[in-house]
Amino acid sequence: MLLADFGTSYCKILDTKSEGIPRIVATRDLDRAFRADLATGHNAARRSRRSINELTALARGGQRLVDRADFVLLDCGSRDIKYVRFRGGEVVDMGWNAECGASMGFTIELLSTYYRLDYAAIPPPAAGFSITCGVLGMSHIFDAVVSGASEAEAVARFVRGIALNAHRFAHEPEELYLSGGLCANPLFVASFPCQVHPLGRFVLLEGLRATLDELPVSPLLGAQ
Amino acid sequence: MARRVGIVGVPPLVVIEEINREGDSIVDLDEPQIRAPIDQTAVYIPRVYCAILRTVVLNCLHLPLDMVYIDVGPGKCDCALHVAEVLADMLKVPVIRTRNRDTRAFGHPLCTSRLPLIEKFNRITKGVQSAAPYPPMEACPPKCGFWGVPPRDFSLLTLFPETTHVFGWTRCMENKTPADLELERVFDPAIPTVFFSQSFCAKSALAKHLAAKHPRAIAVDCDVAASSSTRAKIEAFLELSGIEPGKERTP
Repeated sequence: MLLADFGTSYCKILDTKSEGIPRIVATRDLDRAFRADLATGHNAARRSRRSINELTALARGGQRLVDRADFVLLDCGSRDIKYVRFRGGEVVDMGWNAECGASMGFTIELLSTYYRLDYAAIPPPAAGFSITCGVLGMSHIFDAVVSGASEAEAVARFVRGIALNAHRFAHEPEELYLSGGLCANPLFVASFPCQVHPLGRFVLLEGLRATLDELPVSPLLGAQ
Repeated sequence: MARRVGIVGVPPLVVIEEINREGDSIVDLDEPQIRAPIDQTAVYIPRVYCAILRTVVLNCLHLPLDMVYIDVGPGKCDCALHVAEVLADMLKVPVIRTRNRDTRAFGHPLCTSRLPLIEKFNRITKGVQSAAPYPPMEACPPKCGFWGVPPRDFSLLTLFPETTHVFGWTRCMENKTPADLELERVFDPAIPTVFFSQSFCAKSALAKHLAAKHPRAIAVDCDVAASSSTRAKIEAFLELSGIEPGKERTP
């Protein structure tokens, strides 16, 4: 059974028959003919036999991975941010910001390549830029560099601004669980003004596994 | 000769009876009646404004009308009160303000019936044009609830199962008591409920307030068309409540 989380920049694919870890494929490199059995994410409906939406996958994945009844789980992707809030073991609130959260993760990756920066080597700054999206936020970086800030310092303030924005979007919890590729970015994780528990980039895949466990064996999916 | 009368909101029953008696035809200006870019209304009202009232203005820009009744009382909203001024200056036909305070309850059988949600809303909004009592309908046990006004974008309603019960101002509409705040406040705490409001609508405060009181609810808003994130929120909410979105049909 092939499970896939089709991200905007990266696809996470798991073959349930193998016990190995999921493989990560750049979306642009994924074979156009590839089809999953169960999937979520960008164009999942077109590229799989069955799909669920990303909020559902996020919530189910969070429920499997977090052994608490009350928590907030925030997923920061390449293109959008989304969160689910659990109370008493049930989802009581959720949000998906595809417009104002535009291209946050994508821009952070782009900047590290452009300026040749190692995010593990940059300390979190005391303050971030006031920004609402990756694209609009970039002009702050150029302004700061023109004003004499180092490129690393300017990008760090940008990254902190992104983290603060994502935190506000999730209604400013004191503690949150983080999902997505940005879990591997130490500067981003340290830029949140709250306690952060990174869960990694396979939370949505875990949600697909949970969905699979709940599905009856059907002709559509075949035997597991 | 029959006239073309535009209505905004739910005019009082006496007005509807009069229009029907005269044999005039009614055009519901709250609903999209023509295909044209909604930004054409920006000359008259701000872009950041209730999409229903922007639709009213768009319809008025294109449709030949003989007169317009616009409800500006507690059964509609202050935005309509102000848009009435705009329409009165914009149009060459009479624009008559009404304040619907009708209290005669017609009931709300469609709101609790088993029908595709979009069909319920089509019938309820069409029902405003008639003063006739409703035929009885069997109520179904509800699986979820939709609270709010009829959305500008009815495609949102396809996400819900047929067993969705309707609450809020839409229920007041069907009951022909649009100013009945008591009825508007009603919800069923036993069923997962989506509290819907149009973006920039005053009712969004009530939607958020009631959603916070409800044990299993989300509040969503939507502007001109339902965005993919709004649809995804509703879909996920239904799925996580054990309801397969838009799949349940009468056998």
